[in-house]
Amino acid sequence: MRPLVRLSVAALAALALTGCATTNVRSFVERGVDVQQYRTYSWGPAREQATGDPRLDNNRFFQERIEAAIERNLNARGFEKARAGESDLLIRYYASVEQQVNANGADQPYTSCEGCQPYVFDAGTIVIDLIDARTRRMVWRGWDEGSIDGVVDNQAWMEKRVDESVARIVERLPRRAGRVS
Amino acid sequence: MPRLMTLTIAAIGTLAIAGCATMNVSSHVERGLDVSRYHTYDWGPADALPAGDPRLEQDPFFQDHLRGAVEKAMAGRGFEWSTVNAPDLLVHYHANITERIDVDRLDVQRGYCGGNGCDVSTVQYEAGTLVIDVIDARTNRLIWRGWAQSAVQGMLGNQDTMARQINEAVARMFGEFPKPL
Repeated sequence: MRPLVRLSVAALAALALTGCATTNVRSFVERGVDVQQYRTYSWGPAREQATGDPRLDNNRFFQERIEAAIERNLNARGFEKARAGESDLLIRYYASVEQQVNANGADQPYTSCEGCQPYVFDAGTIVIDLIDARTRRMVWRGWDEGSIDGVVDNQAWMEKRVDESVARIVERLPRRAGRVS
Repeated sequence: MPRLMTLTIAAIGTLAIAGCATMNVSSHVERGLDVSRYHTYDWGPADALPAGDPRLEQDPFFQDHLRGAVEKAMAGRGFEWSTVNAPDLLVHYHANITERIDVDRLDVQRGYCGGNGCDVSTVQYEAGTLVIDVIDARTNRLIWRGWAQSAVQGMLGNQDTMARQINEAVARMFGEFPKPL
């Protein structure tokens, strides 16, 4: 009995790990805006917003990890943090969690069901917005979405996923041409 | 004794795989924190988030029993409840209920799959999340957050079940509270 249980746990862990590989990162830029013209950033006004997961609401271990990752990645891309009220850009982010069902073929009546097991998972999304501090218009939005089953319950795993997710999002910012940053 | 423990852990693993009938407990903590610098605590005001559910948070039995369980757990960790002097720690909680879905698969229940594939249905249930926050009263920063999640079916309106669930949730959560360095 015991080896069987251990195997099942391993199988679950494997599923969870493969699940997280299929994240979906996207971004869009306001038409006619050159994101490269901006040099400095600061955090936009703080807001309390429900994430849809009570474990993450008002959770500074989560929030501070995202904020540190955003600053680190923006700095690596040549942006500079400025004092509030003195920056070209305002940064804000959102995090949300919702359950999703993956039908995985089970909705097709005439296919063999072999290996097509539907499952439910928690999908987590991080959204990062860059706002023109002068006009207060959003100029760029990037986001990353993926399964976070089991992630929040494991602090080290959560931190790793936050770091990876933010890096993937900021990676999509347009590069400065002809400049090493 | 260690052998018995292993068996128990294996049993918990089996239950977790079996579905939503079990309680999921975990926590986040400020790493490297020496909790031996804290001696007293008091109940503090809750934040606006996460949002609570009145079926739990406004149930006097739930409140009383939860507070009693937390006070017992804090005493067990050597903290003294102080309402006279400024306390070192503030404790508050959130009790939240959300609708969740689970996939109910006949092959999982019965251990086989018929010729035309498996019948699949989704089950909707109400999941309760109890979050307990412990805050450094001087810096007003969260130092630890523990949570327990389980289906609330059979618990609302049944004081025996509710008391048992609260006791298990609080005992297991505080089992993860950092020990003095």
